Formats: sequence, structure tokens, C-alpha cells
Amino acid sequence: MSIPDYHHSLTGPFWQGAAQHELRLSWCRPCAQAIWYPQAACPHCGAALHWHVLSGDALLITWSEVAAGLNPHFSEAYISALVSPVEAPTVRLVTRMVQCAAQDLRCDMPVTVRFEKLQQLHGEPYVAPCFTVPQG
Amino acid sequence: MLGQLSRRSLADLARAAPTPRWGATLPLDDIAGELAITGIGETAVTGPSGRTPRAMALDAVAAAIADAGLRPADIDGLMVSGHIAEQIGPDDFHTHFGTQHPLWFSTEGGAMIWAATCAHRAAQAMRKGIATHIVNVFAVDWASRRAAGTGAPGDWHAGEELKAQLEVPLGWLPQPVYFATFARRYMHAYGLTETQLATLPLTFRRHANEHPQAVMRNRELTLERYLASKPLASPLRKEDCCLISDGAAAWVMSPAERARYMPQVPAIVDGVGHGCVQGAPYISQQQELTATPQVFAAPWAFAMANTSPAEVDVIAVYDCFSSTALMQIEDLGFCRKGDGGSFIQDDRLHYSRPRQRGGIPCNTHGGLLSHGYLLGASHIVELVKQLRGTAANQVQAAERAVYAGFTADEASTLVLSRGAQ
Repeated sequence: MSIPDYHHSLTGPFWQGAAQHELRLSWCRPCAQAIWYPQAACPHCGAALHWHVLSGDALLITWSEVAAGLNPHFSEAYISALVSPVEAPTVRLVTRMVQCAAQDLRCDMPVTVRFEKLQQLHGEPYVAPCFTVPQG
Repeated sequence: MLGQLSRRSLADLARAAPTPRWGATLPLDDIAGELAITGIGETAVTGPSGRTPRAMALDAVAAAIADAGLRPADIDGLMVSGHIAEQIGPDDFHTHFGTQHPLWFSTEGGAMIWAATCAHRAAQAMRKGIATHIVNVFAVDWASRRAAGTGAPGDWHAGEELKAQLEVPLGWLPQPVYFATFARRYMHAYGLTETQLATLPLTFRRHANEHPQAVMRNRELTLERYLASKPLASPLRKEDCCLISDGAAAWVMSPAERARYMPQVPAIVDGVGHGCVQGAPYISQQQELTATPQVFAAPWAFAMANTSPAEVDVIAVYDCFSSTALMQIEDLGFCRKGDGGSFIQDDRLHYSRPRQRGGIPCNTHGGLLSHGYLLGASHIVELVKQLRGTAANQVQAAERAVYAGFTADEASTLVLSRGAQ
């Protein structure tokens, strides 16, 4: 089991943002792009990174319906997914598709963030940036 | 299709203008024809055995040395994995065999990509006169560990800091989830069907059913049963995922000019290639989801060997997942990218369809899916048997063999040919 550490120097702000229903990525202002995964400084220009709040709109790159039991830390089946935020097309955000059925998903469809409470077996719940199919 | 694949030289490849790519070829010295695999050894490949990796490794090493017609004191080089499971060292060798001579030791051996690149490293040691007969060994006890709850292949993945914070809490684990998402993207891009994907596990299972040492030798698999089973991580089913096994395999590498006077038909090392993904230390961030770094490894190996996929008789591909094997068959150059699903139909991967009838027999021992999970070490042993003409599922007139190794962010290629005696 590995639950979010809100005080982790590199990744804490990602989870603090999720708790406030904000999708944040670590960002380099001079390079005007996301640096993902977070690093101590921009690998291109050396500038300090900050956390940029995104719109939550993304494209579904791919997904997999994970049967209950394959991942011992979660009791239920779930849909694992990689999405690319529209502001950061080279980023593959590891997430889940929620409030939708696998048969309604196709690669490259637009999806939108939806903050959901997740809980691992024997762990405290945490709010995670998941994604869903926009209504209408 | 295959006739269009022409030979390219190492000089051609070195001259090729760099283009923006998601990976790179690591240039290796030309060692074509310098060394050969002269002995092979393996333990039983099983489920939980209770045996230690050390005991299994030493049994495989002893068998390989005897197969090469050598004594333990003739071995002056030992190669093992520096990354995976518990491996043996020189002290274990000397204690077991009662020897005390100098033993060159390298942790750049083992299985996965190193099952190919160890030949390049061994050639360097032979060139410098450091070693003459070098044994490479790989042992694993993950079946026993899984049964005892004391370790699993996913442990490193779960423990890495950024993965632990940004992937594990969302459920991006274990490894079948990664490769299932890649397979989904491949299906979207190229129209691969589940029935086409099933060809790989079904063919490898048929090979295992005729291979007396394969873990799945007595377990038949039909397309109906495959399709009726519920995916573990869609689109991958249990049969698309590698076994978890105990076992060890080893081989002796010797200078080619000595090999012709040794007891076994030598498997000459003609080419080695090594490719890697760049800019994506985490597999989730890899930009190209429908290919493997095999595209960066294979051209170098074929150029070094002065041959092409059209001239290969049998292949062994790292099949941690069926979809990964399919992508590598394409990335080796046996068919165009995206054509793999139709290319592998009509028994093209089965040992009974040799090259002159359009086949390219693949994983004739059953692979990681049905023979056992020795991470590619058994693949090399099987190819050597094919070139000797002693394989359980013998391919007619097998003269040239290719191994494709894979770790996800790296890949390797080894071209072998049947040597003269």
C-alpha cells in the first residue's frame, strides 16, 4: 500500500490540489510547459518549477478495465487510464475513468476531471483526480 | 513482404542522420563471429519448488559446463544479473566446485536484455585476454516467493518513490495494467482483434504441449476457452500474461576458433543490438505506446550479422505479455508496423511452418507464457537447441536464430547461427 504524502517535497502539492478539487501539474514558466514527473528544477533551463492549475479537460490516451483481485490494494474492479491534459499533450497522467462504463470509452475521446474519494484496503481515504466522459 | 527487407551495414546505420525519436540505439563494437555458445544447462522450470536460486544456478552452471565438454576449472568468467533476484558470485562457484582459480566476474549478464548483451560484454573480456570460457547464468525463485508472500516481480515498481506517490494510489499496478493499456492503444491504432492477439498464447501453448520440460505441457488451451475467460486487465487475459516460475538456465561462451573443436555444434554469435527509450524514465510517460525499443536494437544486430529478417529461421521473443511479443515481432522487422495481427495468422509462428513455407517459428519451447518465466534465459537455451537440431519442437533446417530481449525501457537483439565443427 502506498497512500499520498501531502508533505512530500516533489509530489505533495499535487495531492493538496486534489483535496481542493484542483488538477495541478508541475510547470516551468520560462519554458511554458509541464515538467512531469516533478523534479527539483526544470531539466531544460534550470528554473524553479511551480504548480500550474489546469482546466481538467484532457484526451483519453488509453485505458484498461482491471478485474477485482489483480491489484491487491483495491477491493473493487476499476478502469485504469492514461490521459493527456489539453494544456500538456505530452504528459500521460496516470488516473482512473469513473462514473462511466468501459464499453463507452474509446481512445482519443475528450474526458474531463472528476475528483473522487479513493480508499485502499486498510488505508485512509484520499481525494484523487479521476476522469469521466463529459455529459451531453 | 519479407523479400523487401534488405541488408544494411553498421556504417550505414552510423551515418544515418539523427531524427527526433523516442529512443536510441546504443552503438556496440562489431563482434560478429568472435564467440560461440558452446554449452547449455538448465534446471527443471516449475511452480513453487522451495529451492534456492543459488542451488538452481549452480545446477544449471554444472550442466552447461559438462555439456560444453569442460571442467569447472576451465571456466574463467562468470556472468550474472546485477539487477534481478538473488544470483551467485565467484565464492559460490568455488565453494560448490572445489576450485580456487581466478574467475572474471560481471553483473552485466543474466536474462532479459542481458541474455543478448552478455555476449558483447563476454567478447570484450575475451579480446583483452581476461577470460576464455565464460558462463552466464540466471536463476529465479519468484514462484516460491509468491507462494510464501515474500516477494514478487512488482516489488521494485511499487517501491520507487515517484511511482509510489503518483501511480500506485491511482491503481497503476501491477505490470499487466501497464501493458494492457499499451495493448488497448495498439488495438485502436491498428485494428488488432482479440482473436488475432490470442494467436500468440495459443501457438506458444501448443509448443509447450509438445515440450516435456514446459510448465504448461499438460494444459491445453482453445480459442473458445481463451475468449470465454474474463480479462484480468482488458484486453489482456491470464493467458496473455507470463507465468511466475522457479528455475535456472546457463550457457557457456567460448572463442569461436575453439568452439569448432568442442563437443557440441556451436551457436555462433553473429550480431548484438541494444536500444533504449529516451526521455521517459517512467513507462507511463513513454510517448510511443504501440512499439518497443526493439526498433532501436534490431537494425544494429542484423547489420553486424550482415543478414536480415528474411534470412532467419527461428526466433525467441521476450513475451512477458502477448502484446509485447507481437510488437517486437514487428519491431524486429518481420512485418510492417501494424500488420502483426494478420501476419501471425495461419500458423506462421508454429514450429511446423518453416521459413521456406512463409513461417517464422517463434518461442518453440512455449515462451514465458507457457514454458516458464526465466526472463528469457530459457529462450537462449531453446535457440541453441534449435541450431544444434536437438529441440523438442525442431524447426526444419534451422541455420539462423534471433532472440529479442526486453525490459520495457530497453531492448536487445542477438543473432545466432549454426557453426561448423
